[in-house]
Order: sequence, then structure tokens, then C-alpha cells
Amino acid sequence: MPYNIAMVSDNFYPQPGGVESHIYQLSSKLINRGHKVIVITHAFKGRKGVRYLTNGLKVYYVPFWTVYRETTFPTVFSFFPIFRNIVIREQIEIVHGHASLSNLCNEAILHARTMGLFTVFTDHSLFGFADAGSILTNKLLKFTLSDVDHVICVSHTCKENCVLRASLDPLMVSVIPNAVVAENFRPLSHDSVHTRRNNAPGPPQPLGPNETITIVAIMRLFYNKGVDLLIAAIPRVLAAHPNVRFIIAGTGPKAIDMEQMIERNVLQDRILLLGAVRHEEVRDVMVQGHIFLNPSLTEAFGTVIVEAASCGLYVVCTRVGGVPEVLPNHMTEFAAPEEDDIVAATGRAIAKLREGKIRTDLFHGQVKQMYSWTDVAERTERVYDGVVGAVGSEDFYGGDAARGHPDVRSFALIDRLKRYYGCGIWAGKLFCLCAVVDYLLFIILEIFAPRSRIDICRNWPKKILEGEKVNTTRIAEASDGMPRRRDRRRRGSE
Amino acid sequence: MVAALQRLSAPPVQTLHTLQPTPATVSYTVSTRPEATTLTAKLRFYAGIALRILPAVALAWTLGDARAEEILVLVSRLPWRYLAPASLCAVYLALRRGYAEESLLVLRGLGLQTSTASSIYLRTPTTRFIPTTSVQDIFIHEAFKGFEIRFYLAVVVKGEEDVVVVFPRLLPRRGILEEVWRGSRRCLWEDAGGAKKKGEEKGRESA
Repeated sequence: MPYNIAMVSDNFYPQPGGVESHIYQLSSKLINRGHKVIVITHAFKGRKGVRYLTNGLKVYYVPFWTVYRETTFPTVFSFFPIFRNIVIREQIEIVHGHASLSNLCNEAILHARTMGLFTVFTDHSLFGFADAGSILTNKLLKFTLSDVDHVICVSHTCKENCVLRASLDPLMVSVIPNAVVAENFRPLSHDSVHTRRNNAPGPPQPLGPNETITIVAIMRLFYNKGVDLLIAAIPRVLAAHPNVRFIIAGTGPKAIDMEQMIERNVLQDRILLLGAVRHEEVRDVMVQGHIFLNPSLTEAFGTVIVEAASCGLYVVCTRVGGVPEVLPNHMTEFAAPEEDDIVAATGRAIAKLREGKIRTDLFHGQVKQMYSWTDVAERTERVYDGVVGAVGSEDFYGGDAARGHPDVRSFALIDRLKRYYGCGIWAGKLFCLCAVVDYLLFIILEIFAPRSRIDICRNWPKKILEGEKVNTTRIAEASDGMPRRRDRRRRGSE
Repeated sequence: MVAALQRLSAPPVQTLHTLQPTPATVSYTVSTRPEATTLTAKLRFYAGIALRILPAVALAWTLGDARAEEILVLVSRLPWRYLAPASLCAVYLALRRGYAEESLLVLRGLGLQTSTASSIYLRTPTTRFIPTTSVQDIFIHEAFKGFEIRFYLAVVVKGEEDVVVVFPRLLPRRGILEEVWRGSRRCLWEDAGGAKKKGEEKGRESA
């Protein structure tokens, strides 16, 4: 059963990042499976309005005021009129929010529930519990997630974190990992023969003792990516291993520290700083190296590690968050997130590579089998089925555990208020107030901007598969469709 | 009560009038003028016109009369700072157009002309003529306007950065726009299939 899905997040292209590519890949795969998907995000510099991407993915860049790192200013209700308009004109059934720090996503989930739509939320990041900022964010997350139909997390660690932060029922949370487009991350020595074979294609070629090993690190240079650890570890690694050099790509506030480290230790000839690298160029940087070093302090999934392994790099990473779940043991060397351990782990990795124990040439095929976006889309679709009630709760949650779970969560205001009320002594009442105001706003909008005054959008012409051809063309003829008929003719000539 | 509020807040109804004297010429007019079909509506329409004209006619008629002199004396005794705005207001009310009207005229081989009627009767409409040679494409797209998203019909003009929006003030609904879009494309490039295909590739208005 095809659904109309709206992906809502502050993070979307043209801004680069993991969440952005997740939304894009998931959406295009869902479209391939016959659903209709739109993306709602805020306007970026030079990009505002309605746009179409490949495959008919429609993106609404809503003009909004951004405050910090491309996040919109949190006003609880201001997004409602425009959101309602979009949802009605696109006939949306499921609202899928991404990234917990995205204010647009939080608002959209609240409004969608008020409008009686199904909601799914995907969490992409881990948060602490101790500092003031985290407490505030967690409270906000609890507010949104106390009335969401289902939550998707990208790793089991992320799920645990999310369940604790938002006091969720663990049954309501599914784990669907990210994926990579393996075709975009091929190793340098890659030819078509290797893709089909997973067993050893020949004897391993060990590196000579004097051959230079290149270590690649690609990250945005922010504190949470572990740049400080990297800065501390690099001089020690280089001192201990003579035939090693580093390539570091990415920019951020810590770039200055990095440059200072290089100058203080006079390492200009052994460290290459590349600055900002676009996502499609990441592969070209990766294939220049042998080892990928990822010193991140917190990471929910770590797509970049998978990308590196897919490029045939041996991965050295910190054992934080969801990272240990991501790759099998033979592809990675783990370290605790501290300077000494990272230096030691890098040393071990260099030694293993020199001995020729690691078959990095096989990594690409293995990663390709483990991760695919089609699989992610299939699993997400199953979540949608469960949320909508197409799959009964018994099936969806599994046997006994489903007891007490209705097939579809009630949309009645009183039930929603009950859920919000349990959020805390003060917060519960505040959240209830917000929900009630939101509901009143909804009624006012229904009076002053009734649905009859909103035009329904036409859908993007669907790709016609060979099997369905006869069936679909008849429908196209029955409705109307000057353009559609032409479309078919063009396809026929191919 | 809800229905009453909805009706009060509703924008005026827009109607599309199509005039096609020859296959190569077509004019689309979108207007918010209520169509006078019933007798009462017609009477009300003429009464409105009479109300605007009659005072002036009556004043002119009675010029030189004793009673008219009295009125004129009374008026001239008023200080100008009340008199000037009041008369301006009266002129504005008499000349105000109670509806909005915008149109698109398409002439094959010549070009197309958009026009927006001004809100006052005596002023000429704002028009913009685009010759066929510089019309690159006509398409329907969506944009944010206030708290909603509206469809608009736009013409891409060669050598200009911005598109020309047809019906910029009224921004009619999708149904009207699609009819105008189909009709004007048919009129401009009736047998030129290539031109149509070019529009399709933009993918803006394919069903």
C-alpha cells in the first residue's frame, strides 16, 4: 500500500552531512517502492521555495529564521499554518521527522498529531544527560516523543540512549541502521571481477617495511568529533612510525588548533591538510590512504566508517556510541577515547597492515552485502505499515509483548493530553497547555483557511514498471493526462 | 456560526472568461467581479453606478439655483483642511473599482500581453507585452506567499533573470491556471511539438 510521506528536518541539502544524505537516500528508495515522498526543510541561503530533485522528490524550503548551525528558531506554533497547508495540498498521511535537535521536526510532529496524521521519528544522534543543554534538549525531546507513533534509531546504542532520554517504551523504538551507496565508495584497485567474489582472489600482497602508510581522517573539525584527541595523537604516532603520513580533510572551529600543532612540531611534509571536501570527493581522498582514523567522542552510527571500509581502508576508531555495532571485528581496531589508547591502536593497525594480515581488498564486497539503502527503505516501510495499522500490533511488536498496544494510537485530544501530562510535574502541565493551544490553532485555521480553499498538488508521474504497464496506462487514460500519455510514448521508444 | 465565519473570511470568487475570436488569438481574463445573472443583482449593479454619478449630475443641474448657492456658501465656509481630504475621499469612492481584473492575451506569431486593471477607473491598466521571439517557456510552479503556498503561471523571457508572473495580484487557483496554461501553449505553438516537449522536461506541470 503506497503512502504519502513527508520527511521533515532542518538538515537537508545543500548543507552536507549524514542526516541529509540519509533523508535523501531513504526518500529516493521509498519513491522507487511506489510511495510519494516530499521533504520539508527551512530555506537556505540562496535556496528558497519549492524544488524538485531527481526522481520527483519534491522539497519545500520554507522561509524561516535560522539561529545556530542551520537550525531554526524554536517558536512552538509559528510553523503550523504553512505546515498544514503543505500537508493538505500534498495529501500527506505519514509525517517522518529526522534529527532530535531539529526544531522544524519537533514542531511538525506536534502539529501532525494535532491534525490526526501518523508520525514517525528517526533519531540520528546521541546526547548526554548531565549538562544543562542536554537536560533542556531531553525535555524537549520527551515532549515531542510522548505522542509519536513510532521511533527509529540508527543503532542499538542510539536506541538505548533515546529510550532513556525520552522515557519511551522500548517496544516503540526500532533500530534501522544507516547504509552507504557502495558504488560511490569503491577502492582504487577495484575492477568488476572483485564485486562478485567474496573469497580470496589471490595471495595477499603485504606492504614492504619501508613503504609509506597513509592514514586518512575526514571529519568536520568540531569538538565532538574528537579533534583534540587527534591533535594530541598525531605527533606521537608520527614519532613512533617513520614511514607514515596523514591526510586530514574537513573544516571547522578546530582547524586553527590543527594548524598550530603542525607548525609547532614541524610536520608540514608528513601531514596534508585538505580543508573542506565535498561529499562526492570524499571517496577520492579516502582511496589515497591505507588506514582510516576516526577519533569521534560521540557517534550514533558513524556512516563515515562504513564508507572508509567500503573504500578498502582498515579502520581505527574509538569505541563510543554505536560505532562497535557498525563493522565486523576484522575490519576495525578499537581504542578507548583517550590519547594513549589511540596511539597504541594506530600502532597495532600499522603493524597488522605491514604483516599483511588484513585483507582490505575484500572489504568492499563485504560492506556492499551488509548495507544497502533498499534494505533500509524496506524496513522503514514495515514501520509505516505497523504505524498505520496495516500490520497488526501482534505482528508488529511480536507476540505477547504487543498486549496493551492498540493497532493505531488514539488521536483523541484527551488521550494525547494524558500522554503529555505524564512528562513531569511542571513540564507535563506546560506540554498539555501547548497541545491545547495547538489544537485551538488548528480549529481557527480550519475556519479561516478551510481545506476547500487549498489546491491539491498533482503527483509526479510514476515510473511504469514492465509488469504493471497495462494496468497503469489504463488508469492514466481514465483520469486525464495529456502529459502522461506523452510520457508513455517516450518510454515505449526506449 | 463556523459557516458564517468561513463565508466572511472567504476571498472573492474568481471567474475565468475566455475570448477566442480566431484560433490564433485568445484572451483569458480572470476577474473577481460578481457576475450579475439574477434581476436583483443586475439592479444592484446599476444602482451602484447611479449612486456614483448622480450627486455630481445633480450638483451640475442645480448650478445657479438659489438652493445650490446656499450649499456652495456652506461648503466654502468649511476650512480647507477638512474640505480637501473629504473631497479626495469622495472622488476616490466614486472612481474606485470594486473588483480586480487581470488578463492574458495571446497572439500567435506576435506574442503575449499580460495586463492588470488598476484599482481606480480612470487609470489605464498596467500591461506588459512579450514578443514570441523572447518567450522561452510558460510554466506553472508553486511558491510561498504569506502563510500558504500558491500556484502561479509564469513566462520565461529571454535575457531576463526574473520570470514574468501572469495574474500576479489574483494568483488564481490551479484549475484556472491549468486551463490558461494549456490554452496559451496551444495557441502559441500549436503544431510545434518540440516546443511542448521542452516545457515537459522542466517537469513542472506534468500530471
